[in-house]
Amino acid sequence: MIVSDGVVPAIEVSDLGMVYPGGVRALKGVSFQVEKGEFLAVLGLSGSGKSTLLRCVNRLLDPTEGSVHIFGEEVTALRGSNLRKLRCRVAMIFQQFNLVKRQTVMTNVLSGALGRSRLLPSLLLTFPQAERARAQAYLERVGLPDRGDSRADALSGGQQQRVAIARALMQEPQLFLADEPVASLDPALRHSIMRHIEILNREEGLTVLCSLHDIDLVTRYATRLIALRDGELVWQGLPENFDQGIFKEIYGQEAEPASNSGY
Amino acid sequence: MRNEQDIDSPTLAARFFAQVQVVGIDALLVGTSFLMVEFLFLAFSGRRSATGLLLTAEGILDLLHYGWIAGAAVLVAIAWSATHGIFGTSPGRAMVYGLAEEERDLPWSQTFLGWFVAILIQLTFFSGWLITELDLVSFLTKFSKAADILNGLMHPQASILHQGAVLLVQTIFLAFMATAFAIPVAFVLSFPSARNLTRGTWASRLLYMAARTGMNFVRAVEPLVWALIFISWVGIGPFAGVLALWVHSVAALTKLYSEQIESIDTGPMDAIAATGATTLQILRYGVVPQVIPPFLSYTIYRWDINVRMSTIIGFVGGGGIGYILKPRVDLGEWGEVGTLVLLIAATVWLMDIASAKIRERIV
Repeated sequence: MIVSDGVVPAIEVSDLGMVYPGGVRALKGVSFQVEKGEFLAVLGLSGSGKSTLLRCVNRLLDPTEGSVHIFGEEVTALRGSNLRKLRCRVAMIFQQFNLVKRQTVMTNVLSGALGRSRLLPSLLLTFPQAERARAQAYLERVGLPDRGDSRADALSGGQQQRVAIARALMQEPQLFLADEPVASLDPALRHSIMRHIEILNREEGLTVLCSLHDIDLVTRYATRLIALRDGELVWQGLPENFDQGIFKEIYGQEAEPASNSGY
Repeated sequence: MRNEQDIDSPTLAARFFAQVQVVGIDALLVGTSFLMVEFLFLAFSGRRSATGLLLTAEGILDLLHYGWIAGAAVLVAIAWSATHGIFGTSPGRAMVYGLAEEERDLPWSQTFLGWFVAILIQLTFFSGWLITELDLVSFLTKFSKAADILNGLMHPQASILHQGAVLLVQTIFLAFMATAFAIPVAFVLSFPSARNLTRGTWASRLLYMAARTGMNFVRAVEPLVWALIFISWVGIGPFAGVLALWVHSVAALTKLYSEQIESIDTGPMDAIAATGATTLQILRYGVVPQVIPPFLSYTIYRWDINVRMSTIIGFVGGGGIGYILKPRVDLGEWGEVGTLVLLIAATVWLMDIASAKIRERIV
């Protein structure tokens, strides 16, 4: 929102395009910047390319056109250990939480430290005492201090997403990606997860890039918005400038804003 | 856009290859049906050999005009391919391109293809009857010869019980060792044999092809043949049986394991990859925890199969209870055979129940 002169943006996406091997085009000519400390929400219908965009940033997917710079560093062509170093700095949480269900909550949180762990001990699921203490601290922070020994799939959806946040924090990231973090949760629990992310953003200055489709959540938590439609960037602006007309433009004339977030 | 065009207009080479497939499949099926017609014609014409004896099915198979019929079949296949607008979709065309739109809702009796397949099935059945020398008369009238054996089986003799029980223990351990040694090898091989883990690079695809082809070959060779190979390698005895079942189990378990890996939820893999983990760490955290229970289940199932196989591996000298069963059969000691068969049946039955119960609990 503040165009900072001379300061490198946290994320700079230029002319990004993605065509899947089957020939489906998911992104086309997408360009935008995320300044340090922003909470940028990505809006759009399912299938509009939000997930693809996020996955191109931490290179879970390889974009076919354009480039992504993170803190000034070109990441589009990174391979091997350079790619892993990038991923260490960029944490991600997912709509389906993506915890390793049959492992303990503690092991799930510790897996956030894999990028800096020694290979052999990590393959035996052992971590240094310092990392375990850190993991415990993050579990306390997301409000699950005594669930470390539970199996991950014994937790409720909201609790699983909080474990995923703890795993992400374990990376000590500079960037936080969230792919529809509350879409699989009960509406009543959505704010609890969003508030955790908000605290990271407002109080610790962590840059957040978050795809969301719930308009209420977007206008309440994001500092700036971009909107995708059929893989193209169709609008960007501030939450206060978002109105009915823009909504129809993004979601189509048939759409109605749904208010299901328990205001 | 470019891609859609690619789908609409395949390259000349691709179209040619598809056409060759169509004609090849058609020629094979038409040729087979022609051969069966000639076979049945000769069989029912009562043709005799030079010595005046009625020809056997094998003798007739020797007489068929393979070369001429193959040529005719290719011509018919090409002709059908050229006239599919008139005679409808041929079997080869149906397999390569699918049925034509207007034929999809027709009953089989209104298409040329339907009649062709129906007649092909009839021809196969009647040819098969003659080629396998089905003999209902013997089956229905000569039961008394087999009655001796059945009578012996009904009166098992205790004399061989002790030796049989001892070898039965060997049989179960033989199966166990073969399974145990197969687990680590199959575990390692299953990762390069899983399609979803080997899409990344050319090297990994090559590894996938090599692993799959090798395993399919090993699996295609029966354990009894492996036993013969290992008997000449390490000598007659249970160890040769262990090796034979081990090789076969590695191939079978690799296939089962890798199919399991192919059906995992990729979400956790993505999440672990996103933390900056290495490939080995992604496999350890994102894949292994998901596949351990099904792997255990398949392994127990395999042990169950191996117990069954190890009872006959002794027929060729691979150790276990089959080793004493074979000479009893040859000598016609049906009472003792009965004892051994009962022992085997009881073991297999118990293994079956135990394995089903355990697997039920795991998955």
